[in-house]
Formats: sequence, structure tokens, C-alpha cells
Amino acid sequence: MSIHTYGMARVCGLAFILLASGCGKRDAASTGDTGSGAATSAAVRVADVKVGRALGADKRVTDETDEFRPSDVIYAVVETQGSGANTSLQARWTYQDGQVVDESTRSIAASGEDVTEFHISKPSGWPQGKYKVEILLNGATAGSEDFEIK
Amino acid sequence: MGVLDKLFGGGGKSGKGKADFSDVKSGSSSTAPSAPSQGGVAQSRTYTVVAGDSLSKIAKREYGDAAKWPRIYEANRDQIKNPDLIHPGQVLNLPREG
Repeated sequence: MSIHTYGMARVCGLAFILLASGCGKRDAASTGDTGSGAATSAAVRVADVKVGRALGADKRVTDETDEFRPSDVIYAVVETQGSGANTSLQARWTYQDGQVVDESTRSIAASGEDVTEFHISKPSGWPQGKYKVEILLNGATAGSEDFEIK
Repeated sequence: MGVLDKLFGGGGKSGKGKADFSDVKSGSSSTAPSAPSQGGVAQSRTYTVVAGDSLSKIAKREYGDAAKWPRIYEANRDQIKNPDLIHPGQVLNLPREG
């Protein structure tokens, strides 16, 4: 009987230690304070993706649309929030069945709210049909927009 | 409509197989500063090879000088064994000029 009680006490004690150490780690992580003041790219997120025909000086879309003409320059504007010294943004433009039209990558030092624009043009004119631009943040899909050339 | 049209969707004006996007120009800019390059590697963008491409054609189109093809070759040595042989669908890194 006494052996059984001793065993139970050891199990309870071990469980307490595990719980206490787990809580400690969660508390440390929840402060979000790395001490260095440098945030990681994981903190960056894509807040919005828009496509349009024209940009303003602030790089935001001034003529938002999802219908373009064959002669248009097509802009995809990505708004990001958060900080990351080496944040990779990629725009993958595809046509209809997934044929890749273009892929562009831009590495930015994100800090707070940033706007990044990608654009494509085709001097000989865009084939009519449905297109898609997919935005990847550090290699992972973070947003997409469909549009059409008419 | 032929078999190819059905296979490839036939949505382009030509209606014959894949659409030709070989003359597509692209670019980007940001309100955020560019990230510092790592290990001395300049920032690059990518280009997907289409039928009929060669490194010199791509260099002419991207840099305005066909003689700059070795720049693309050097940036893609891991996937180009023979500079005279590239394949449609290959995604090449295009180093920035600078």
C-alpha cells in the first residue's frame, strides 16, 4: 500500500513539473519580446491583394478592375503588415488552364504597413481569357485575384 | 475544334495550343526598402522558358543584349547543364543588372 502511494506521488509530482514547465514556455512566447527588437518574417502577413490598370504615387491601385483590355498593363498590388528583414513576395501570373504567364519575386525589408506592386505587360497584346495572379509570401500562398482580358 | 483545342482549352485568340507569352514584360516596386542581399547574391526574378527560347533570346529580351546570356547561365548552373539546351517550363532565375 505504501509502495502504491509513493508511486502515485511520483506520478503527480512529475505531472506538476511538466505542467509548470509548459506554462513557463507559453508565458515567454506570449510576450513576443525577443529582446533584440528584430521581428521575424513570420510576423508579416498579406492584408490585401488588388488588381487594376493604374497606380498612384503611393503604389496603390487607382483604377481597380477585374476586366482588362489586351493592351493594358496589369498591376497587382499587395499590402503587407508586419515586420521582417527579409520577406519574399512572389507574384505568379497564370492563364486559363494554369499556363504560367510570368513569375516575379521581390525581397523586401518589411516594416509596418507596406505596399508592393507587381506589373506585367505584353506589347503584342494579351490573349483574351481568364487569368489569375497568386501572391506567395515566403513561398506560401497568401492571396490571389482572378481577372479577365476581354 | 481539334483535339489540341480541347486539350489546351483553346481560349486564346489563336485557338492553337498554348498561348505565347514569350514577350511578356514584368516588374515590381515597393514602398518597403529592398531586403539586403544575402551572401552577395543579387536580387533576381524568375522567367519560365517557353518553346523556341534560348539563353541569348532571353538575355536580349531581358537585358537588351544577347551577349549577356552567360549571366543567366551562371545564375542557373544547378539546372542548366548545357547552355544550348533549355526546356519549356524551366523556371530560370534572372539576376538583376547592376
